[in-house]
Amino acid sequence: MIGRRGTEGNYAYAVARVKAKKSKLLKVEDFDKMLNMSTAEISRYISEAGYNKEMTDLAATLSGIDLLEYATNANMAKAFRSILLASQGNLRTLVQSYLEKWDFWNLKVILRGKSYGLAAEYIRQDLVIAGKLDAEALDKLISIDSTEDILTNFAKMMGMNGQELLDVYKSKNSFGPVEDYCDIQHYRRLLKSINPNDRPSQNFQKYVRTEIDVRNLETILKLKVVGVYGEAVAPYLIPGGRYIDKKTAMQLAGAETIEGASSDIAQLEFYEAIKDVFEAEDMKVRDVVLAMKKYEMAQANKLSHQYPLSAVPVIDYMIHKEIEVSNIRTVARGIESGLSKEKVKDLLVI
Amino acid sequence: MPMSAHDVTPNRSVLLDLKKKIKLTQSGYKIMKMKRDGLIIEFFEVLEKARKMREGVSADYDVAMEKITVARAVVGEIAVKSAAYALKQEPQVKLGSKSIMGMMVPRVEADNIHAKMPDKGYGVISTSAFIEGAAIAFENLLDTIVRAAEVETTMKKLLDEIEKTKRRVNALEFKIIPELKEAERFVKFSLEEMDRENVTRLKHLKKKGDVEE
Repeated sequence: MIGRRGTEGNYAYAVARVKAKKSKLLKVEDFDKMLNMSTAEISRYISEAGYNKEMTDLAATLSGIDLLEYATNANMAKAFRSILLASQGNLRTLVQSYLEKWDFWNLKVILRGKSYGLAAEYIRQDLVIAGKLDAEALDKLISIDSTEDILTNFAKMMGMNGQELLDVYKSKNSFGPVEDYCDIQHYRRLLKSINPNDRPSQNFQKYVRTEIDVRNLETILKLKVVGVYGEAVAPYLIPGGRYIDKKTAMQLAGAETIEGASSDIAQLEFYEAIKDVFEAEDMKVRDVVLAMKKYEMAQANKLSHQYPLSAVPVIDYMIHKEIEVSNIRTVARGIESGLSKEKVKDLLVI
Repeated sequence: MPMSAHDVTPNRSVLLDLKKKIKLTQSGYKIMKMKRDGLIIEFFEVLEKARKMREGVSADYDVAMEKITVARAVVGEIAVKSAAYALKQEPQVKLGSKSIMGMMVPRVEADNIHAKMPDKGYGVISTSAFIEGAAIAFENLLDTIVRAAEVETTMKKLLDEIEKTKRRVNALEFKIIPELKEAERFVKFSLEEMDRENVTRLKHLKKKGDVEE
């Protein structure tokens, strides 16, 4: 279990480092330029923008758009791990807790890949080694045959309750509940790792709780589209939201349709951020999700400026890096698949 | 059964037999013609349905491809592939049959195509709305394809059956019935001829008897 207290942490050093890194991230103009390029040109462009090593390393096994996707992911994982290794004390605890989401991601990739019968090398290729567990630990999980043993070992490595994780899996003999349990546990553990009396951490907590709000609203909307509402939504809600507490969440979940919940959604603190897409005639959940992602990014940016010596600027950089990787992939895959430039531009989070 | 008009033995029983055969063949011809017309009417109905289904498949395919393209772009190939690996249920296609005007056509049914997000096998919280949207679009496409498969196969079977029935109708109309009629004519003519020969023979015999007396 991650301790709530530790040494103060090297905020000044880490923040200076991530600010330097953030200044090197691709700008809106870069994406505008990339929209007019071919996949090969995009690959060359990003190679010159800091992705060269990963592109070269993976070029022996991959090519084209897949090379670009795997290389950007590998670069992101490397950047995150370098921040983690450069962080100390309390900051390291917070960064590590935040990056645990990649451990849970890797668990999902391993479970799904193994149940499908993928070879270890293909599973390994899809991992994003940016969290607490390194390549060796993940390799150990890949080498285990039974799902129960994978879950037990994972829980042990992460300091989680293994029996609880196993019970969740056995309840439906499906990975779905395990994945949801892991996502909820990630935020529980993350919130627990933040010392609420520590001012920089308070700021970080605010951001995490905003992220929880965004996840919960996305879950409520996704489930409404497939006709799941009311009490059935409760197991998928992450506790600890900033503006959407349990009562509000259940109120939002109660309506049968998105239209039915629109008046409650309009009352939300961050409604302005999603208003345009939410009130559009052909409202799509995916557009709302993109708008919320932009809101999340703006919040991290805002909070990082309010308290420069906190974990938020570090997290803010990680969010921006993740979004940069996602945007590169969106442009490259979008162009390659023949989507119009306008459509690809709409899908970007900038 | 095809036969040459001159192969038959011209006697009264054969004539009766031929008359029966002609009657039966003509009634069979009428029924076959009705069947052919019925099949053609049915075919045009199925054709219209198939045309709509093809349009449906094409539209659903476009939607599904657009959604999977966007999902692959926004959340990445790895996430899309990984979500696909997590799926628990595989669609089951059941083949049965039903009868249209005595012709057996396939009945194609599918189970486990649609599943609600919580029952799919992947987590609800972390699975992107883009992936779920693409999954729903592909479920709809599969559903339309299965229904289209039934209609298309029915249409092809109907076409085969129409062709077969048309050949039978033509064979009856232009070969079997004319041949039977020709045979009937031949037997009738032969019997008349035999009657005439008999009359002449009898006349000769009578004349011979009268001379001898």
